Amino acid sequence: MNEKNEYLLLFRGKEWWSSLSPEELRKTMDQVKGWFDRLTESGKLKAAQPLAREGATVSGKTGHVVADGPFAESKEVIGGYVLVQVNSLDEAVVVAKSCPTLRFGMEVEVRPVAEECPSMVKARQILAEALLATAAA
Amino acid sequence: MNTQTKNGYMLLFIGTDWHKGLSPEEMQKVSEQWMAWFKRLTEQGKVVAGHPLERDGKTVSGKNGRVVADGPFAESKESIGGYFLLDVATMDEAVVIARQCPGLAYGAKVEVRAVRAECPLSSEAEAQLAEATA
Repeated sequence: MNEKNEYLLLFRGKEWWSSLSPEELRKTMDQVKGWFDRLTESGKLKAAQPLAREGATVSGKTGHVVADGPFAESKEVIGGYVLVQVNSLDEAVVVAKSCPTLRFGMEVEVRPVAEECPSMVKARQILAEALLATAAA
Repeated sequence: MNTQTKNGYMLLFIGTDWHKGLSPEEMQKVSEQWMAWFKRLTEQGKVVAGHPLERDGKTVSGKNGRVVADGPFAESKESIGGYFLLDVATMDEAVVIARQCPGLAYGAKVEVRAVRAECPLSSEAEAQLAEATA
């Protein structure tokens, strides 16, 4: 299912850092740096990038609706991602739980990276079942 | 405004229920279009990484991550089905690519986000320092 054992960690939350005191900010930066250093040393970190708050959302049948957003103040907005290589979803959750910024109200979504599009897999399953049903009839 | 970034853009594909109501043949066709699109962008050097995501997962929150919930939900309008990392210079270019997404016709949405050069914590620290020394 997930042969490469890669998991995408998506970080969601408001811009909590702008309300920190300089001391708290420095302390948090050190903690975050330490967290990344430990992840890198353990060989679990594959990639990580912060995202700018601004962006666009494209929708509509031919992508004709282009809206600004997501909005910076939204609790749901994704602030960045971390790609890790670990042995199981449980292990990826352990990594997520060790994130030092959770105490500021951030949320981490942990998602297994798929080898193949799940819709493609599902379509093949439905077709195979239909074939079996025809053969049995 | 068309801000330039050398760090590229991320496309997040939103909606994992787009195939609802499609026949398996149609589902396969759209998935194939999607893969061909990814291959074309890779050949053009415009996409540097991309993956579909499994529909299951966990959400971790709370102090020390003590709240671990199942989810996002298997098939929903709001959950993220996959992502591309683009090596293009402008938001406009990234939006042009997003508009080619084969899932749009079936109700999927694409979030286009600029990748930041550095962690927002460092930027905030610099801003505070600049204010203090002004």
